[in-house]
Parts: sequence; C-alpha cells; structure tokens
Amino acid sequence: MRYKIYDITQEYATDADSGQQLYDLIHPQLIADNLVELDFTGVTIYASAFFNFAIGQLLKDISPDKLNTLLKIPELDPDAHSILKRVIDNAKRYYSDPQYQNAVDTVLEEYAASF
Amino acid sequence: MTTVISIPNIYIASEHYNHLFNIWYEITQLPQTHLDIALDFQDCTFLSHNGVAFLGGLAHFVQSLGGTLEFSWDTLHPKIRTNLAQNGFLDSFGFEQAPWNGNSIPYRIDLQSSRTSVIDYLIHKWLNKDWVSISPALQNAIAGRVWEIYDNAFIHSQTEIGVFSCGQHYPQKKQLHLSVIDFGIGIPAKVRSLTKNLSLSSPQALEWAFFPGNSTATPDISRGMGLHLLQEFLTENQGSLKIFSNDGYIGIKDGKVEYKQQRINFSGTFVNITFQCDESYYRLASKLPLWDEPLF
Repeated sequence: MRYKIYDITQEYATDADSGQQLYDLIHPQLIADNLVELDFTGVTIYASAFFNFAIGQLLKDISPDKLNTLLKIPELDPDAHSILKRVIDNAKRYYSDPQYQNAVDTVLEEYAASF
Repeated sequence: MTTVISIPNIYIASEHYNHLFNIWYEITQLPQTHLDIALDFQDCTFLSHNGVAFLGGLAHFVQSLGGTLEFSWDTLHPKIRTNLAQNGFLDSFGFEQAPWNGNSIPYRIDLQSSRTSVIDYLIHKWLNKDWVSISPALQNAIAGRVWEIYDNAFIHSQTEIGVFSCGQHYPQKKQLHLSVIDFGIGIPAKVRSLTKNLSLSSPQALEWAFFPGNSTATPDISRGMGLHLLQEFLTENQGSLKIFSNDGYIGIKDGKVEYKQQRINFSGTFVNITFQCDESYYRLASKLPLWDEPLF
C-alpha cells in the first residue's frame, strides 16, 4: 500500500495531528504484515512532532526488524531523513527500555494527575 | 492615573534583554489602579527587533491584567518610527500605514497555533531571497527547526495572549535574527510541574528541556526531540540562540552551550535565534544520510 503524505500534510509535515492521521492509516497495514510505502513528494518542511506520531510510535508494538522489512520510505529529503533517524533512535530507546519508559511515564502521569 | 515608563536603547546584547525584563517586572509590581501605562521613547534612539516584539507583547500583557498600555508615539525618534512603520508594528496598533519590505522582518502576533502562516512567514519574510544566499533545501531545514520554537510556545507555554515575533536582517554582519516571545508560564516552570523535577533550578530545568527525549507533553508517545534537534542544528551550522525563561537563561554560540541564572523571574519565554545568511557556513549540504543503513 502506498501513501502520499502530501495529501495529509500538504507542504509542511510538522504537526502531531497529521502524524497521528498517518499512523492511523499505516499501523493496521503493518500489523497485518502488509508492505507500506510512504511517498513524501511535494513535502518540503519537517518537524519532529510529525515523525514522533507517524513513525516513532509504530515501535510501540512492531519490532524494528519487521519495520525495516515492511515500511519503505524512498527518496526522503536528506534533512528529513536525519530528523526521522533521531526520532526513531529516541523511540527505540523509549519503547524498548521499560525502565526508561517507566521513568518518563511516571513523571508524566504525576503531572497529569496534578490537574 | 497614568504610569509613565521610559524606554532605553534596546540592542541585542543580554543586558538589553534585562532592561526589558526590568520594565516587565516594574509593571507586575504596579497596583491595579496604576495599570494605565504610557511608554515614553525620548531616551531611546535604537530599538532592535527584540525590543519591538517584546513591547508589542507587553501591550497585550498589560491589557490581560486589566490595564492599558499606550505608546507615546510623538516621542519616537524618526528612525525608530520609520522602522516601526516598515515592520508593520504601527499598522498592528491601528495606524493606517501598510508595512513595506526592508531589512526589518515583520512584527507579527499569533493568537493560536497557525502552522502554515508561521512557516510561510519564516520562508518568505524571514529567510528572504533578497538577503539569504542559501539553497531551498537549507531554507526548508532552517524553517523546520525554527518552527520547533513556535510549536513549543503554542503547545507548552499556556500563553493566553499569543506569541509575538519580529526579526531583523543585519547586512553588514550577514546575519538574520528572529525573536519569538510568549508571556506564558515559562519553560522551567513547566519542567518543574513534573514532580521529579521540583527541585531543579531554572538553568537546570532548561538543561533538562534540551536533553533528547525529555518532554512535559502527554505520556505514551516518545517525544522531546524538538529543542535538542534545534540545538544540534545551531551548533553544527554556526547559528546562535538565547533563551530567557523564568529566571533561567540558555545561550548557544560557537558550538558552546551556557546556562545561567537570571536576576528577574520573567513569566514567559523570550527566544532570539541567529543564523548566517551564507550557505558556506552550513554543514547540511555535505551531510548525506547513509541510505544503505536500516532506518529502524
């Protein structure tokens, strides 16, 4: 399945909402072991929030090996690639290290509970 | 009763930011009955973009306290008046004088997150082709990193009066500056809202906010890369950054990061970012990813 990101974000792939929208489309496909290709043609500006929600959170329940096999992102702008790579490294640490995730989530839950 | 506050010269040096925080502090100490304020510019012969953005925001801040802030327009030095006309500041305060293009990058207010409008502003007004000699790819990379500042302000600051910006092109230094200000709770206060961070000083809280993966946003999603990516980009590309937030300061210059304690506890965040206008200062063009490496 091929997804044209421009149709979701227009030129600027920078916000969490658009990222979540893309995640909601591709996550079921990847869980079902279907190949997914992301086409970023026409997208010019990227920010970490978009990638955190669209790609980073895939690592919650899909292994890196499986994502390397099933998710293809050809011809991504080099700068966007460098942002995505950093987001993925951060997400891998977050979702694969229970201690790290617990530490971060505990403080965040305390924060949420304080309201 | 009108309280008159005199505005000094405002340059981009740190002590001049402190002049602005002094003015803010003075206002916060006034009783409600003295919140009708007039800003007098007789002693001001230079007002840099940081001052423009701050004073614009200050007017809205005073309004939010139930007062009024008026600019004594007749005390403006003619050069400053021209500059305020050119960057749209006068226009935003009701003067029928449309801005025009020049070295000042327009003053703007964003009451809420307006992603497309802000990025268009960064690309077309700030990173203007007339003074920036960089490729479209680099232009986009810079705009994306600077957007992280706005995104932080909109998502985390809890500002009720918006986000204020103004920029300046310095042709002799071949530099581009942009100031972005909110009058929200401040980054250190937000960081300390997490129980485990309660004991952090403001400089330590800023350091925490810049550490990769640290975020005060909603749980369950890995986040907290925006400020770190910005820092990394500035360090690699000879950019610089000053952030004053609460009584903390972080400065990034020449690849070095400095955290300091500030005297005044400003409720909000004041960012000034500087980029070089010439692509030769940037490493981006020569830095290509290793495409053969697995992404995950």
